[in-house]
Amino acid sequence: MFRSQLATVNAVARRFQSSLGFSTCSRRSTLPSPPLASTSKTTLSWVARRSYADAASSKFSRAKPHMNIGTIGHVDHGKTTLTAAITKVLAEKGGAKFTDYSQIDKAPEEKARGITINSAHVEYETDARHYGHIDCPGHADYIKNMITGAAQMDGAIIVVSATDGQMPQTREHLLLARQVGIKKLVVFINKVDQIDDKEMLELVEMEMRDLLSTYNFEGDHTPIIMGSALAALEGRNPEIGAEKIKELVKACDEWLEIPPRDLEKPFLMPIEDVFSISGRGTVCTGRVERGTINKGDEVEVLGLGENIKTTVTGIEMFHKELDRGEAGDNMGCLLRGVKREQIRRGMVVIQPGSMKSVKKFQAQIYVLTKDEGGRYTPFMQNYRPQLFLRTADITVSLTFPEGTADAAEKMVMPGDNVEMVLDLVHDVAAEVGSRFTLREGNKTIGTGIVTKILELA
Amino acid sequence: MLRSSLRSQPVFSAARFYSTGKPDIKLVAELRKRTEVSLTKAREALAASGNDVNAALDWLEQDLAVSGAKKAAKLEGRTANEGLVGVCVLSAGSGSGQGAGRGSTRAAMVELNCETDFVGRNELFGRLLADIAHTAAFIAEPADSEDLLVPCPLDMLHDAPLISSTDPSVQARATVASAIRDTIAKVGEKISLRRAVTVARQPFASNELGLRVASYVHGSVGLPSQGRIGTLALLALKSNSLRDVLSKPDFLADLEKLERSIARQIVGFDTQMIQSSSGEETETALYQQPFMMFADNPQGENVEQVLRRWAKEKGLATNPESEGLEVIEFKKWSVGGDEVSALGA
Repeated sequence: MFRSQLATVNAVARRFQSSLGFSTCSRRSTLPSPPLASTSKTTLSWVARRSYADAASSKFSRAKPHMNIGTIGHVDHGKTTLTAAITKVLAEKGGAKFTDYSQIDKAPEEKARGITINSAHVEYETDARHYGHIDCPGHADYIKNMITGAAQMDGAIIVVSATDGQMPQTREHLLLARQVGIKKLVVFINKVDQIDDKEMLELVEMEMRDLLSTYNFEGDHTPIIMGSALAALEGRNPEIGAEKIKELVKACDEWLEIPPRDLEKPFLMPIEDVFSISGRGTVCTGRVERGTINKGDEVEVLGLGENIKTTVTGIEMFHKELDRGEAGDNMGCLLRGVKREQIRRGMVVIQPGSMKSVKKFQAQIYVLTKDEGGRYTPFMQNYRPQLFLRTADITVSLTFPEGTADAAEKMVMPGDNVEMVLDLVHDVAAEVGSRFTLREGNKTIGTGIVTKILELA
Repeated sequence: MLRSSLRSQPVFSAARFYSTGKPDIKLVAELRKRTEVSLTKAREALAASGNDVNAALDWLEQDLAVSGAKKAAKLEGRTANEGLVGVCVLSAGSGSGQGAGRGSTRAAMVELNCETDFVGRNELFGRLLADIAHTAAFIAEPADSEDLLVPCPLDMLHDAPLISSTDPSVQARATVASAIRDTIAKVGEKISLRRAVTVARQPFASNELGLRVASYVHGSVGLPSQGRIGTLALLALKSNSLRDVLSKPDFLADLEKLERSIARQIVGFDTQMIQSSSGEETETALYQQPFMMFADNPQGENVEQVLRRWAKEKGLATNPESEGLEVIEFKKWSVGGDEVSALGA
């Protein structure tokens, strides 16, 4: 629970930092607000971890949009070499710190199974973007990291060797990408210097496009770059080495889509507390999760059986009145014509129509092991823990999705990644991609991501 | 894409390749679709066999033995800690089957490792494991030892002809070892057989005694008989009316349900033994655990109590002193992990 929250704080903080460059609201820099403080703190620890203290790199700018990217591919097809080559080529332009093959490969995180991948252990910058780069170690490990929020891929590079072509497990690689919601890929066909027949390379490309289409990636349009990561790393044959790496990076910039930033998304503030201020009305407080709000905007208050349309008549932060609030702000919202009794913790204030309140949804859940503080024993269908989604706390019943074989006898063990249907006692505002945790007693037993909405309130 | 480009390719191009002896790209594609061999290999095969697909297939088959062995040798030093545990029950014991094998017990559990779980999730790997498990169960010999669940010597299993689990009547064309080598050549990862255990037992001479095998694997991706944690457990039945109850389909269905619950209980909980030797309460002893995996257990009784009650209710034990059913042995494996093995009193 805490970990996933921390992760979001981090992400939000990073985006703040990046928006500070062109920030239009100057009050941020004058107000000693908690979000800002947390920004500087996170950045500090972040820099320290990266041993990035020398003067030259202190120019490092966060003005570019950030994207998380990963390499997926067979163990021998050169994922690590490619990663090293990218940092080398971009380092020449000052966009990265060259990370050698051995440094990447030696990363203890990569070796020790089951431990969180350090999602930012390689990073680089192109003309247009800043990338955090991870290697995808295995299916189960990545799914777990994704659900717990420890690692994230917004896009991926599939690495295939020209000598082997796609392999049986390439299908599994694409299935993983599909399952975790990656919509676009870039393909790098490696080791082309070992194949002298041009038609063979064309065949590798054709097969790849065919396979991509089979798994609903845009096979005909996906950029496929052919080169040699080793050549780039060793600084020889630039026509298949460095040039191709540049081409690959350019393809990533142009083809892979950056997820919208928090500030650009529709407004959402989970309600933490509600007050009644005599003479003014009802105020609800919370930390804005995304988007911006202006005084006078229409909003919807949603969840726990309520759906109230109203107007924000005032925004307040640190006992000062404001005209505008945005993602990361801890603020109070004065709502017109709403009684205190109508609003409770667990509801959300949103831009009208941007979200629905749901009663039943399907989700991908990771069940914590005993060592991670979770359950000791398995559970079966109809297990009823508490669901924590934003500030809401609701009893939920877990069942297997319709059509599961032997659902009545099936069990879920600590450590499992499992797709389940969650039936809520009260409705709550949620959408595909919403994260939640499951708790029982004083224990966090699982964490999950909504994958499909099944029933609206 | 591939298809359309194939169509658009003029016929004469094939002829041109043929005359120069250069492998035809179309044929390379076809060969890969049919065999999943690497691109370089497919090309080599066609070059060696003059662009004849059938000849190339034969060439590949012979070459796989050599190149697969080479590849396997190259990957030998790497660690393979992913993979699957697979179970095959050919005959579940008393009351099962017909004809000559009626009432006998024959089953196997096998662990096959690979390097990444991407390969572990692949159909090729799953099929290979299913065939090996089937082979192990098939070749198991009744053991002379006290234990009924005995490790299957890996050398013997490697040399055994591979029996297809989907169609056992097919004449075996490869041994287990060569089938593993072929798969290594295709997926390019180290694949190794870690362990195998089998049980084989003829029906007891006495009409009052019976043996049943229970199994469960957890974390299946493809086939339900394969997963990340698995168990094989043996149950002994003793009753004066064993023959009568076993002939009832209802009783057998109930018994199978109970067996599945027991196997789930062993896998799901931290089960290390069947009964605690000192008689003290311990979570790791199967009989002392609350039987949570059994649906018909409103009182939250432990496994031992449920077994007693079940035997009485189902007409197996009219005299609880000398009749009933017991878990006598189990083995539990998790992929890449240690073995948990237990013998009953």
